[in-house]
Amino acid sequence: MSLTRGEMLGYVLENIENEPKDILTKDCDTLEYLFDNCTIKIPKENRFFVSVNTADITWDIIREVRAKKFSSVIKDNNLEDGFEALAYTGAYDYSHTTTEWDNLLALGLPRMRDRIAEYGKKNPSKQAFYSNIIRVYNAVLRFVKRAANEALLAGKKEMSTGLENLSEKAPETLFEAMQLTIVYYVIQHLFDGTLVRTLGRLDSLFYPFYLKEDKENADKLLIDYLKEIDRLKAPANIPFALGGTDISGKSLVNELSYKMIEAYEKAGTNNVKFHLLCSENMPTDIMEKALDSVRSGDNSILFLSDEKVIESLLKQGAEKQDAVDYHVVGCYECGARGELTCSCNARVNIPKALEYTLNGGKDLITGKTVGLENSGAFNSFEELYAEFKRQLDYLCSCAMKATDLWEAHYNEIHSAPILSGTYVSALEKGGDLYCDYAAKYNNSSVNAIGLATATDSLAAIEKAVFKDKLLSLEEFCKILRSNWEGAEPLRRLIKNKFPKFGQGDTATDKIAADIVKNLAGKVSGKPNVKGGVYRLGLFSIDWRWEFGEKTAASADGRLSGETLSQNTSASFGADKNGATTHLTSVAAIDASDTPNATIVDIDLHSSAVSGENGLNAMLASLKTYFELGGFAVHYNVLNTEVLKNAKLNPEKYPNLQVRLCGWNVLFSSLSEEEKDEFIARSVK
Amino acid sequence: MKGIISGIKRMEIHDGDGLRTTVFFKGCPLKCIWCHNPESISFEPQAAYFKEKCIGCGLCRNEHTPQKAVNCPTEALISYGTEYESQQLVAELEKDVLFFKNSGGGVTLSGGECLAQPDFAAEVAKGLKEKAISVYVDTCGFVKREAFKIIIPYTDRFLYDIKAIDSDTHKKCTGKDNALILDNLKYLSEKGCSIEIRYPLVKDYNDGECHKIGAFLKGVKGIVKVKVLKYHHFAASRYEALGMINTLPDTQTTDDDLKKTVEILTEYGLKCSEE
Repeated sequence: MSLTRGEMLGYVLENIENEPKDILTKDCDTLEYLFDNCTIKIPKENRFFVSVNTADITWDIIREVRAKKFSSVIKDNNLEDGFEALAYTGAYDYSHTTTEWDNLLALGLPRMRDRIAEYGKKNPSKQAFYSNIIRVYNAVLRFVKRAANEALLAGKKEMSTGLENLSEKAPETLFEAMQLTIVYYVIQHLFDGTLVRTLGRLDSLFYPFYLKEDKENADKLLIDYLKEIDRLKAPANIPFALGGTDISGKSLVNELSYKMIEAYEKAGTNNVKFHLLCSENMPTDIMEKALDSVRSGDNSILFLSDEKVIESLLKQGAEKQDAVDYHVVGCYECGARGELTCSCNARVNIPKALEYTLNGGKDLITGKTVGLENSGAFNSFEELYAEFKRQLDYLCSCAMKATDLWEAHYNEIHSAPILSGTYVSALEKGGDLYCDYAAKYNNSSVNAIGLATATDSLAAIEKAVFKDKLLSLEEFCKILRSNWEGAEPLRRLIKNKFPKFGQGDTATDKIAADIVKNLAGKVSGKPNVKGGVYRLGLFSIDWRWEFGEKTAASADGRLSGETLSQNTSASFGADKNGATTHLTSVAAIDASDTPNATIVDIDLHSSAVSGENGLNAMLASLKTYFELGGFAVHYNVLNTEVLKNAKLNPEKYPNLQVRLCGWNVLFSSLSEEEKDEFIARSVK
Repeated sequence: MKGIISGIKRMEIHDGDGLRTTVFFKGCPLKCIWCHNPESISFEPQAAYFKEKCIGCGLCRNEHTPQKAVNCPTEALISYGTEYESQQLVAELEKDVLFFKNSGGGVTLSGGECLAQPDFAAEVAKGLKEKAISVYVDTCGFVKREAFKIIIPYTDRFLYDIKAIDSDTHKKCTGKDNALILDNLKYLSEKGCSIEIRYPLVKDYNDGECHKIGAFLKGVKGIVKVKVLKYHHFAASRYEALGMINTLPDTQTTDDDLKKTVEILTEYGLKCSEE
């Protein structure tokens, strides 16, 4: 009988969730039930695996039932006003994980189960844990067999044979290795409910299988694999990684690395992205290949500095081998091998610290006192800046406190039996990764948002009030409280002509670097409740919009409610001195303090990177940025849509450049007819 | 020594090899009707007023002068023309030195006509060479021989414009005869300089010069490549903002035109490509 998702959720809530058992046992009961009863479908276009109707069942239980029990902890600890103001947040994180893919592929599912049992024999006092995990893995194997049968009935012989094999042994062919990664992704992501956020370093993982495969078959398999991954439609994309180094520093790039890029280009996915782990001794042509792919526009490729990532993880306390074998989970954040990378626990709104500095701790949007009270009188910029740091420290403390409050309750919120069954540290300790903090590294994270907005605002106050004496601090604060009412010329002057982070102005870049140094001092290495430490990140992704909506007018010329700056990049429109200057400014930040990522977004028009020399320029910019100590870069080669938007909303693209004969000009400076012609030319 | 420039652009890929910083010197002896950099023609500072950006704040008192541009908060009023000491300019240009090193790039002195400020250009080039930075000189060639003599020791390559061989055509398009230009090219060749020829192709104006240019260049030593540049009319708004008469020809150079021209020049044994 086929059960609907709603029926299964109803059954779990009525018959399992209310049982007086520990979370791990309840979750294992749930998983057994779901594996045995979920409805399996065989999408026609799938080559590797089936589809199931279990998505988000575990999440619904966590969010709607378990977490609600603790929803008062934030209020009870007087953190509610800060959350409301989006000055800071802090929460649990059961996304951003990866399994140890190499072990999974080497052992296969049956042997993984046997390994759990072997560890169990050595640790009799933790039998409850081992027997729970073993029964889940037995249910997984039953499920894989059932899927094999269904596939056979649907005429999918290749899929069925592969699944039969995987239910009995480790993968032996490239097809089976690919199939196992998808099977594992599904059983963890869609059943366990602990989100898998990377497929790992696929070029290294698949290489032994690739060597045994006919090359033409391999090419087709790679494309079909990526297309099937794409159809999983995971939130925020599914990444994989290529490259990296071994413990001796040798590049791990191989023939398959190139093939993977080619397949990625051909697959035309929009839900798969990849991380290129760039090392100094990596073959240049693979970087060129990836950059060339970026120029085509229809993809998402992130370039990370292997050296800087490893340095940041070592600084965080990881062992050398674990740091070298790091993973990138999600968008940018890196974790050591054996680390449960809770990379999205807490967020801190940096510009809010300045808002509270200038308003005695009062939040201008909510009207409540969220920051620390002060007199509001500062005799020098140094005094004001010291107070800003005090406020920022305070917001970080609140964010970490909120995170601690949540993370103290994992054993009543979430367990991860499937993922835990793959972590050697969990097997050694006989405990769940979440409930028992059984990872080798049980760290938590704080992401600081709006660095450029805050930096530019501080620089503006220093120049306008303390250096040029254009107005008093009191007058400036009054203007900001009124959202720049009656002060449009001053706002434009500051926005257009004052120095900004990202323009190569040493003094301004120094402010940004100092803010990060202070954040690291407050956050990095500070103990959490799990026996691990906090790690700092500087990415904002789309949070910058909601945080911006809750942030009052800032001294950089930003209006109340406008978005904050993106990631670790310059404020929009401030990168007017070009990409090289932008990269140099961001490199002023000590990225070894940010294992949770320092990331700069570089916008380039396709005409500015065209031809052989364009590729050469991109490569040089990337290599130089990494030489300067950069962490990660995301290039955006602009397309027709952007140009059309820039024509409709020129204020949003003040520094978009287009290449003419001789040099670049600002797109905004062109006549309407000229813009139209350029848009027409940009159509592929 | 002081000089005047109209702008600096970084991460340029079309002004020579590698990743380059291009500095646009202000002032040019030619008056090319298709000029895309009208702000670089005059040797004096100029104001450009982009009225659509103006919010009517009144800070300029409606006086659109370079001096008033300093006050304009919206950059509706821009001043083209900044004075630099040569060492100050070198310091500004060397900021991307690591990017140059990694790309085989450097600095390109362009304009306007950089050699119309010959001593300043030579000092800047010398300062850059002292820091082991590659220097390319983008020139129209219509300058005194002495200007070349003093900059050759510090120049890695000349990007040399050839717009027409026929004298009347050249006069019609640029306002000046081309004898000096062709002569200077031969001089650079004799001196063993590395030269990249740049031929801006403007349909109905100088496209008929293609064969003559090919025949002329065929015997010139030192030419490492020839680039055919596509003509666009994108400078119209700047002519208006500068209060200058827009002389841009209302003509189109197509990709096909470029391709054919490249083919013809290649037949003359030149290493030719489109830009």
